[in-house]
Amino acid sequence: MGGSSPIPAACLSEQRRRFYGPVVRSEESVGNCPMSAAPCSRVSEGRRALPFLVPTILIMGAINLYPFINGMIRSLHSFRILSQDFVYSGLRNFRLLFQDELFWHAFGNSMTWVATCVSAQFVLAMILAMVLNSRELRARRVVRTLVLIPWAMPPVVVALMWRYVLADNGPMNLFLSMLGIGSPPSWLLDPQVALWACILVTVWMNIPFMTVMLLAGLQSVEPSLYEAAAIDGANFLQSTFRITLPVIKKVALVVITLMSIWTFNMFDVVYVLTNGGPGNASLTLPLFAYQNAFFYYQMGYAAAVGILMMACLLVLIFFYIRQVLE
Amino acid sequence: MRMSPAKRILLNLVAAVYVVILVFPVVFMFLNAIRSEGEIMSSPVGLPHVVTGENFREIFQESTFMANLRNSFAVSGLTVLLTILVTTPAGYAMSRFRFRGKRLFSTWLLATQAFPGIVMVLGVFMLFRTYGLLNSYLGLVIMHTSFSIPFSVWLLKGFFDRIPVALEEAAMIDGCGRAHALLRIVAPLAVPGLLGVGTFSFLLSWNEFFFALVINRADALFTLPVFLSRFLGVGGMVRWGPLCAAALLATVPALVLFMLGQRYLVSGLTGGAVK
Repeated sequence: MGGSSPIPAACLSEQRRRFYGPVVRSEESVGNCPMSAAPCSRVSEGRRALPFLVPTILIMGAINLYPFINGMIRSLHSFRILSQDFVYSGLRNFRLLFQDELFWHAFGNSMTWVATCVSAQFVLAMILAMVLNSRELRARRVVRTLVLIPWAMPPVVVALMWRYVLADNGPMNLFLSMLGIGSPPSWLLDPQVALWACILVTVWMNIPFMTVMLLAGLQSVEPSLYEAAAIDGANFLQSTFRITLPVIKKVALVVITLMSIWTFNMFDVVYVLTNGGPGNASLTLPLFAYQNAFFYYQMGYAAAVGILMMACLLVLIFFYIRQVLE
Repeated sequence: MRMSPAKRILLNLVAAVYVVILVFPVVFMFLNAIRSEGEIMSSPVGLPHVVTGENFREIFQESTFMANLRNSFAVSGLTVLLTILVTTPAGYAMSRFRFRGKRLFSTWLLATQAFPGIVMVLGVFMLFRTYGLLNSYLGLVIMHTSFSIPFSVWLLKGFFDRIPVALEEAAMIDGCGRAHALLRIVAPLAVPGLLGVGTFSFLLSWNEFFFALVINRADALFTLPVFLSRFLGVGGMVRWGPLCAAALLATVPALVLFMLGQRYLVSGLTGGAVK
C-alpha cells in the first residue's frame, strides 16, 4: 500500500457522493480511482480488488477448497463396494484407524522419515551453502549450477536412477566393496534398510532447494560482523553459532517447516523406489492412504488417513503462516 | 581476511565431493542411455564400448513415449499459461489493494501447502468425472495450476511490491484504466517475476506424479512421469537401457528450462514466496 498523492481522488469522489447523494458509478470512475488512498473505505477497495481475484478464487475454490471439504466429509463415510455408494458411518473410520497396526507402523515410519530427512538435509545443505558462500571457492558459478541439478529432475526419474544405483550389484555396492566393505546391504530388498534407502534418496533430491534458501540467508549476513568477530579472536565455530545461525534463523525456520510439510506428504519417491516394501517395511502414510483408496477401495478410510495427516501438520502450518505473514 | 592454504584446499575438496555426489546418478543415466542392454547387465558401472542409439529407437518406435512426451509438453505449457493469466492479477491485487478477508485469503493460500493429496483426490476425481475432465489435458492442467497458484501469487506479490506505485498513478491520471495500467506498465516491469512463475509452474507440472497417475488412466494420456513409472512395472526385469533413454529425455527439458530460469525462480523464492 502507500500511495503518494496527497489527496486521493477516490476519497474526493467519496466525499462528493456524501454531499450530493448517490451517483451512478460509471465503469470509468472505478477504473480511474487511483491507488492507495489508505483512508478510502475498505469496501470500495474490496470491490475493485475482486475482479482481479476472481479467477484465482474460482480455480482454488473448485479444485482446492471443494475437494478438501469433500474429503473431510468422506472421512465420515464408508464406501460399500457392492452397492458403489458411501454411507455415513460417523467416526468409525477413525476408530478403525486407531486400532489398525499397519496405520501405526506407517505413522512411525513417516515420523522417522520426516525427522531424519529434514535434519539431514538441513545439516548437509548448511555445509554446502557455507562452502558456496565462500570467496575462496574455485569455479563458483559452475559449482553452484551443478549442485542444483537434482532440484530440476522429475522425482520419478530420481527414484528410478537410484533404483539402479542401489541395486544389489549396482554402482553403490560396487563402490562399497571397492572400499573393502565385504557385505554391502541389499538396499531396497532388506526390510531393515529400505526406509533408510528412501531417506537417502530424498535427502539427495532436496539438498539443492534447501541450499539455495540458506545461501540467500547467508548472503544477507554483514561481512563486517565476521571481521569484527575475527579481530576479537572468535574461531570458526564461535562465529558460526554466534553470528551466522542467529542471522539466518528466520529463513532457516521457514524452510525447515516447509520442507517438513512437503516431506511428510511426499508420495512419488517411495512409490517408485520401494512401493512401501519389502512387505510394508518402508510404508509411509501417503502410500498407506493411496493403497487403501485405490487397491482396497476404502475411500473413506483413506480420507480419514489424510485428515489425520493434516492434523499432524496443523502446528507446522500455523507456524509457517505466521512467519510468512509476520 | 584470507584463508590458510590448507583450509582453502579443504573447502574446494568439500565442494568437489558435493558436486560428485549430486551429479553422478545423472551421469549413469546418460551412459546407460547410450549403451546396449548387454553391456549394462555385464558391467553396471562403465563407459560404453559401443555407442548405440538402439535404446532411443526402441522407446520412440515400440512404446507410447512420443505421445506421452507431447502430453507432458501440452500439460506443462498450458499450466504455465493459465498460471500466469490467473496469478498476475491476483498478485497485483494482493500487492495494491486492501480488502476485507485479505488475511484470510492469504492464510488459505498458504495453508494449501499442507493439504495431503489423498484428501483432495477423491473430490477432484468425482468433480472431474461429472464435468468430463477425467482423461483429458484440461483436467490435469487445472489441477496443476491450482498447485502452482499459491506460490506464484506470493512470488508476484513480492515483485509488484517493489514496483513504485507512482508509475501506475501517473498512467491512471492520464486516463489509463487500472487493468490497462497493470498490463502496460506493471507487467512489463515484472517480467523477471513472470519468468520465475513460468519456471516454477512448468517444473511443477512437468514433474508432478500423483494426480497425473490418478486422473489420466489411458496409456496415450499419461505424462512422462507416469509413463516412466509404468515402464518399471511391466514384467519382473527392468530394462535399464530404454528406461534410461526415456528418463534422460524426460529430464532434459526440465533441466534446460531450470538452467535458463533458475535465476528468476531463486530470486522470486527468496524475495517473497518463502522469505
